[in-house]
Amino acid sequence: MIELDRSQMTPLLQCKDLVAGYRIKSGFVHAVDDVSFDLDRGGFLGIAGESGCGKSTLAYAIMRLLKDNAIIESGSLIFKGIDLVKLNEEQMKKIRWVDISMAFQSAMNALNPVLSVGEQLIDAIHAHREASQSNARDRAIEVLKLVDIPRDRFDSYPHQLSGGMKQRVMIAMALILNPELIIMDEPTTALDVVVQRTIIEKIQELRKTLGFSVIFITHDLSLLVEISDTLAIMYAGKIVEYGSSESLFNSPLHPYTKGLMNSFPSLTGRIKRMGGIEGKPPDLLKPPDGCRFHPRCPLAMPICRESCPSLEEIADRHSVACFLHKGAEAQ
Amino acid sequence: MNDNILVLEGVNKHFPLNSFRMRGKVVHAMDDVSFSLRRGEVLAIVGESGSGKTTTANVISRIYKQTSGRVAFEGRELSGTMSRKEELKHHKRVQMIFQDPFGALNPTRTVGGIMERPFIIHKIAKDKRSVAEKVYNILIQVGLEPPEQFTRKFPHELSGGQRQRVNIARAFSIEPELILADEPTSMLDVSNRMSIMNMMLNLKERHGVSFIYITHDLAGARYMSDRIIVMYAGMIMEIGPAEEIINSSFHPYTKLLKSAAPAPETGLKRKPLITGGDIPSLIDPPSGCRFHPRCPFAGESCSLEIPPMKKIGEDHYARCLL
Repeated sequence: MIELDRSQMTPLLQCKDLVAGYRIKSGFVHAVDDVSFDLDRGGFLGIAGESGCGKSTLAYAIMRLLKDNAIIESGSLIFKGIDLVKLNEEQMKKIRWVDISMAFQSAMNALNPVLSVGEQLIDAIHAHREASQSNARDRAIEVLKLVDIPRDRFDSYPHQLSGGMKQRVMIAMALILNPELIIMDEPTTALDVVVQRTIIEKIQELRKTLGFSVIFITHDLSLLVEISDTLAIMYAGKIVEYGSSESLFNSPLHPYTKGLMNSFPSLTGRIKRMGGIEGKPPDLLKPPDGCRFHPRCPLAMPICRESCPSLEEIADRHSVACFLHKGAEAQ
Repeated sequence: MNDNILVLEGVNKHFPLNSFRMRGKVVHAMDDVSFSLRRGEVLAIVGESGSGKTTTANVISRIYKQTSGRVAFEGRELSGTMSRKEELKHHKRVQMIFQDPFGALNPTRTVGGIMERPFIIHKIAKDKRSVAEKVYNILIQVGLEPPEQFTRKFPHELSGGQRQRVNIARAFSIEPELILADEPTSMLDVSNRMSIMNMMLNLKERHGVSFIYITHDLAGARYMSDRIIVMYAGMIMEIGPAEEIINSSFHPYTKLLKSAAPAPETGLKRKPLITGGDIPSLIDPPSGCRFHPRCPFAGESCSLEIPPMKKIGEDHYARCLL
C-alpha cells in the first residue's frame, strides 16, 4: 500500500520556465514568457485569458507545431521524462498525436472538406501506425461511436454535419491513437450553449473511462471553473494565478483574476452592476515595465511599475504573481 | 394600448427554397411570433442559432418583410409595400447594432466618415459643424475619447471593443426610438463584455429608447433585460419577466437552456443535462410542439398539435401542454 507507482507520482507534463514567441520585423514578441506548470496524470488543466495572452501559442509550443517565425527560446517541457523542446522533428512525430493530440478551435476549418469523415480518421491512423485498412476502419468506427456519431455518418463529408457533430469528429480524431494528453484549444467557443454542454459532458465521460489528461484553453472563465481541476490564468504571456479551480473561484487573489470573475453576470445570483476590466492588454512587442497588468490594475502600487512579481505559492495549491500578496506570505 | 411601441401578431417568415430538389418547400424561420414591446423596455430574445431570433430583428427593421402576420410600430402597420420615403423614416426610428464589429464598419472610411453617414442619409443636421458636434458628443458618450482623434482613424486601427463602441455610437447617434442589438457582445473579449453591456444600459436610460437585445447567453439576458423571450426553431416557447424566466422557468426548453448555461455560483458540481439532441430541420419542422422530439416530458398529444400560448403567471406565458 505504501509502494506507490513512480509513474503515478511524477506529473505527466512539466512545463518549466518556458519562453516562446514570434520573430517579426520590428522585434521579438514574447507570447509565452517564463511559464511553468505541472499537469498530473488524468488531470484537467484549464488555461484562461483574453485573446493575445499567449494561451494558444503555449498549446502549439507543447505540440511543437509553432509557425515558422516562432521559436521556443528557453525552458523545458518534460513529458513522461522526455524533454519535448530538445526533440528533433523526426522524434517529435513519434509523440505527436500518438501521445499528445489536439482538438482545434474551428472544427469547420480543421477538417478537410473534400474527404469524408471516415477517410480522415483512417488517414490519421495510417500516418502514425502500421495498420491494415480494415483494422483502421474498425478503429475509426469505434472512436466515432465513442463520441456518439452513428455509423451511417462514416461516409459523410464535413459540410453535411452540424457544428456540434464536426466538433465531436475533431474530438474523435484526437482520441483515435489513444493519447495520454489532449490539448483542446477553445473547442466549444463557436457552439451553442446546449451543444457546448453536451460536448463537455462527453469529454468528461471519456476522460473517466479512457483516463487521458486534458489541457483546456478558453476565454470563457465561467465555463472553465466548472469543468477543470486546476486553473491557470494567463495575462500578456505570463501565468498570473495558478491553483485549484475551487480556490481560484472562491478566493481569487490577483486583481486580473478578480476582474475576470467580475466579467460574467451570474445566472441565478443577485443582480449587481459589474465592471469587467477597463483598458486592453499591452502590446507584447514592448510590454510595460514591472508587472504587465499594472496599467490596468486598480490597485497598482509604485513597486508594480518597477519590478515584475514572480509566481509564488501562498496557500496549498494556490500561487499568485502579485505584490499585494507578498506581505501575506511573509507573515 | 398606447404604451406599446411595437406589436407583432402571428408573424410568419418563410424563405422559399429554389434548388430543384427542394422546390416548393420553405424554411420556417419564424412561425406565429407574437409579442409586444413596451416603451422604454429592454426585451431580450434568447435562443440557439437557427431559432429565428435574428430573423425576428430583421423583420422588425424591415431588412426582410414578413410572409404573413401583423407588425405595428408606434401604431402604424408595417405590412405590405412602403414607399422609399416611409422606409427611410422607419430606418431612422429603428436602428440596429450588429454582431460582427469587424464586418459592420466600412473599412475604407474613417470613423468620422462612418459616423456622419446617418446624418447625411436622414438629412438631420443643418451644416457640417453641427454634424461634427453631434458626432463628437456621442463618441464621448461611448468612451471614445478624445473624439477628434478617433474620427480620423480607420476601423482596422481599432480594437474589437472600440469598433463595437463605434457601432453603438452610430446606432444611438440619430436618436432612434427602438434599438435592435443582435448579439452585440458575443464576438468581444470577456473583459470587454461587461463594459459594453453597461454602456448600452446607460445610453438606453439617457436617450430613453426601447431596446431589443438578442443573445444566446441567458445570464447576459437577465442582466440586461426586463423581460425575456425564449425562441426555439422559429417559435416563441416562453415569454415573461426576466427573473421569472430564470427562477421559475416553465417550458422544458427554457429549463434545458438554463441547465446548460455556466453558473459557477450554484456550486462547481453540475447535474447532467436533461436531454441532448440538436435543433430540428426548419424545412420539415416536427409536427406539433417543435421541441417534442427532444423533450423528456413529451406525451402523445405533443406531436399532434402545436400547443397554444398558455398563461403561467402575471405577464408570463409558455407554449407547452404540460
